[in-house]
Amino acid sequence: MSSVPTDRGTWRLVARRDFWVRIRERSFLISTLINIAVISILVLARASSAVGSGPSFDLGSVGSSSIATGASQLGHDAQPPIPIQVHAFPDQAAANAALRDGSVDAVVVDNQLIGFTDDPTPLTLAVLQPAPPHRSENAAVAFVGVLLLYGQLFGYGIWVASGVIEEKASRVVEMLLSAIRPKQLLLGKIIGIGTLGLAQLIVISSFAIGLAFATNAIDVSSSAFGAAGLVIGWFILGFAFYATLFAAAGSLVTRMEELQNVIVPINLTILVSFFISIGALQDPNGRLQVIASILPTSSALSMPVRIVLGAAPAWQIVVSLVALVGSTVLLVPFAARLYSGAVLRTRGRVRIREAWRAAE
Amino acid sequence: MLELIDLRRRFDDVVALDGVSFEVPEGRIVGFVGRNGSGKTTTMRIALGVLHADAGRVLWRGRPVDPVTRRRFGYMPEERGLYPKMRVREQLVYLARLRGTPKGVARSRATQLLEILEVVGDPNDRMETLSLGNQQRVQLAAALVHEPDVLVLDEPFSGLDPVGVDVLAEVLRGQARDRGVPVVFSSHQLELVERLCDEVVLIDRGRIVARGSIRELRAMRARNLWRIEVPAATDGWWEVVPGVSLAARDDGAVVLELDGDADPQRILDLARAEGDVAAFGPVRPSLSELFREVVAE
Repeated sequence: MSSVPTDRGTWRLVARRDFWVRIRERSFLISTLINIAVISILVLARASSAVGSGPSFDLGSVGSSSIATGASQLGHDAQPPIPIQVHAFPDQAAANAALRDGSVDAVVVDNQLIGFTDDPTPLTLAVLQPAPPHRSENAAVAFVGVLLLYGQLFGYGIWVASGVIEEKASRVVEMLLSAIRPKQLLLGKIIGIGTLGLAQLIVISSFAIGLAFATNAIDVSSSAFGAAGLVIGWFILGFAFYATLFAAAGSLVTRMEELQNVIVPINLTILVSFFISIGALQDPNGRLQVIASILPTSSALSMPVRIVLGAAPAWQIVVSLVALVGSTVLLVPFAARLYSGAVLRTRGRVRIREAWRAAE
Repeated sequence: MLELIDLRRRFDDVVALDGVSFEVPEGRIVGFVGRNGSGKTTTMRIALGVLHADAGRVLWRGRPVDPVTRRRFGYMPEERGLYPKMRVREQLVYLARLRGTPKGVARSRATQLLEILEVVGDPNDRMETLSLGNQQRVQLAAALVHEPDVLVLDEPFSGLDPVGVDVLAEVLRGQARDRGVPVVFSSHQLELVERLCDEVVLIDRGRIVARGSIRELRAMRARNLWRIEVPAATDGWWEVVPGVSLAARDDGAVVLELDGDADPQRILDLARAEGDVAAFGPVRPSLSELFREVVAE
């Protein structure tokens, strides 16, 4: 039982090593703490602004104030609470003056609701309902989501590239490749590091949602869970895409100092995608945003934002998914070949064409 | 038996291997000798599948070597290197498992090897904290930890102190003798190769220029030389024997080269007639001399 007739599944050993080695690293702990700190600040800022700048009303009252105090009580009990300030006026003329200068939103005269004119037309209570339902909340959730996605895709992609360089620089790669195939090493590394990124993402998302509920920054009926699911799903797909590129880029150089040079194009792609996604928070149906959400080079960051904001029609989501998964599938053998051709050349930088020809 | 058959490989315009063939029988230790850049490392990398050949085949027990059978090979690359931050034993266990050894077996084997190879320090130390000599020994342990069927070692003795050399030589002998492992290693330490190897393969400029046991190589390559010291003799006393010529003068002695037919005993008789014979014996060229002779051609 000392020899196994097949070498399938050895990528799992690679993945496990990459996962456990990095989870014990200080930088992992630090990045988790920083993420949690940033998320906490964002959630708490929103929680305090939700109380301060949400819909609030100033209600003038003349004579009997039973309706005014009742409304105030209702507003207090509402979820989220709508603060209603009751101001007593000696007569209707004073109340009307206050209405005109805008210091109150409405006046109740002897239990009759009066609007912005002298005409005592009863106002509908619809005014009291918070305006666009969940709109700003979705944008907030999408913002946090895209921030997280950006951090994970970028950070863990770089970890893949530096992991490849580390093995080249320490020359251990020749030992590894005498035991397993380049594809297994590549696959194991991407999956191991990706799984760690995924685990961290789940921890941070759970923390963010829990904190947001606890502080009333978002309400239970919101799309936070759906958004978290989207972020996680698109992380998996986007990571597969970018990490494959990062691994191939990393295999071209031998020293950590050269890492930045080879990953510039990938960095720029992710950075531009990130800014387009931030733009999508304001304008989810802009031409640029729609295109970015479909192209596989940027969709992992752009599409989830548009989905959370309810701006992406089903066909665009499907096209975007097919494009991202399809291009990853096409990319893997290409990157694996570059990787196999370059990873054993431990002297200086390898050109893409050289690496391509070295592996057959 | 590990067979390398007509391996060819070019790097751009440079022909690295120009038809390399030799075999390593089971239980035998083969020394792979050649100058720097002669193709030793390229040959070994191809045997391990780390590099592909442009042409030629590598067979193990008569079958082409594929990635699955290669897992049973043990390899020490010329470019040393393990994970610097990984703990020594953990690293050995990982490498053994990559080659299909179960975890428990790998662990006890790793512990055992660190003792046999006399690696100083705790098995839980990080690789980078070890001295270079100790790192070298761990690298050897990495080649052995999965109890390989074949051992291919590129310069395994370089960087070892004399004690380390003895330990490793004993380990290699043990692998060949007790487990029947074919062992091939490259080295520039030719006295060591001469002492340790059953066979030697000489490579020069990508071609195998000689192979066989040391004895065979001598018989094949070496001239029939005899060193005789007769202090009282008159110069040129040997000239009366046909087929004998002077090869060298060496500190009061002469080294004579004999043709196939010339009888050394006749030379001895002649020498005694000249006076007291202080020294008489065949000159056995060392591997270094054979090597220089072959490479000079």
